Amino acid sequence: MATTEIYRYLPVGSRRYGLDPEGYLVDMNDWSPEVAEALAQEEGIELTPEQWEILQVLRDFYARYEMAPAMRPLVKAVGRALGPEKGRSIHLMRLFPGSPAKVAARLAGLPKPTHCL
Amino acid sequence: MQEHHDDSDLLVILRHGPHGSSWLREGLDAALVAAAFGRRVSLLFMGEGVTALLPGQQVGPLGQKGTAATLEMLEMYDIETLLVEEQGLSCLGLSSDDLMLEVACLSPMALARVLCGHRLVLTF
Amino acid sequence: MLLHVVNRSPATSRVYQQALAGMSPDDRLLLIEDGVQGALPQLVRYYTGLEGRLFALKEDLESRGLLGRCDASVQVVDVDGFVELTEEAERTVSWY
Repeated sequence: MATTEIYRYLPVGSRRYGLDPEGYLVDMNDWSPEVAEALAQEEGIELTPEQWEILQVLRDFYARYEMAPAMRPLVKAVGRALGPEKGRSIHLMRLFPGSPAKVAARLAGLPKPTHCL
Repeated sequence: MQEHHDDSDLLVILRHGPHGSSWLREGLDAALVAAAFGRRVSLLFMGEGVTALLPGQQVGPLGQKGTAATLEMLEMYDIETLLVEEQGLSCLGLSSDDLMLEVACLSPMALARVLCGHRLVLTF
Repeated sequence: MLLHVVNRSPATSRVYQQALAGMSPDDRLLLIEDGVQGALPQLVRYYTGLEGRLFALKEDLESRGLLGRCDASVQVVDVDGFVELTEEAERTVSWY
């Protein structure tokens, strides 16, 4: 769940944005493509169109269900939105190495997914 | 005998409506966690819990999140077996047509069978 | 055979109805905590049909001064008996 405690700040241009202890935006409304770029840079990820379309799927998911998805539902949502070729965990692992559901949620400006470890 | 469901690994029984307590949300959370880890989960709405399925729910007066969005999300977690206690509905003058999701109604006998058919049952 | 456990009194809570609804013909019911009130002759009628399958926890009856007041149809078990009931059942389902 989202926390309201600001642990550190993410500088973007002349502004800075509050992040929680795990690096998620404290205020979802702070999100913008520029913020996503800055968060991605922290992760060592370069955002290409392939990543952007996943972030959009995540933001749509949150808009509809008010929660960030765990890996399985994320795979399912990506499959529905972008086709079965992309709706596979290996695709997401390649784009967001490590823990795709968590990393991608962070870059999409969502709270940490609740239902995964 | 009529089979209403495939027996899954876990049956989560939800007996509380939205907003009055956190039981409903906690039960849904448990179901989602289990499903996220690949367990096959069924939900059983009993008693007052059937009101969780009424359409048109909103945030609480103190801004508490509703559960309707979470219920709609269940299919994304492959939680597709939604069971409802027939008696719980009729007690409140409701029928399954009044509910926001497709459910299977259980007679008292079917209900007892469902409880027997699950390796793990959690009541909320 | 499942063991169902109820910890509320039928005088104040309708949880007993949910337990009954969930019970198969050979399932057992154990009353614990405030649930042991259901063992009183005046309230045991809520559990009609469970003769031989209705139990109440001795320690909870004792602490409430109800031990000598149980209906004869209720089998009183202590904590060890509770454990035995649990072992004899496939699973336990709690109603609270």
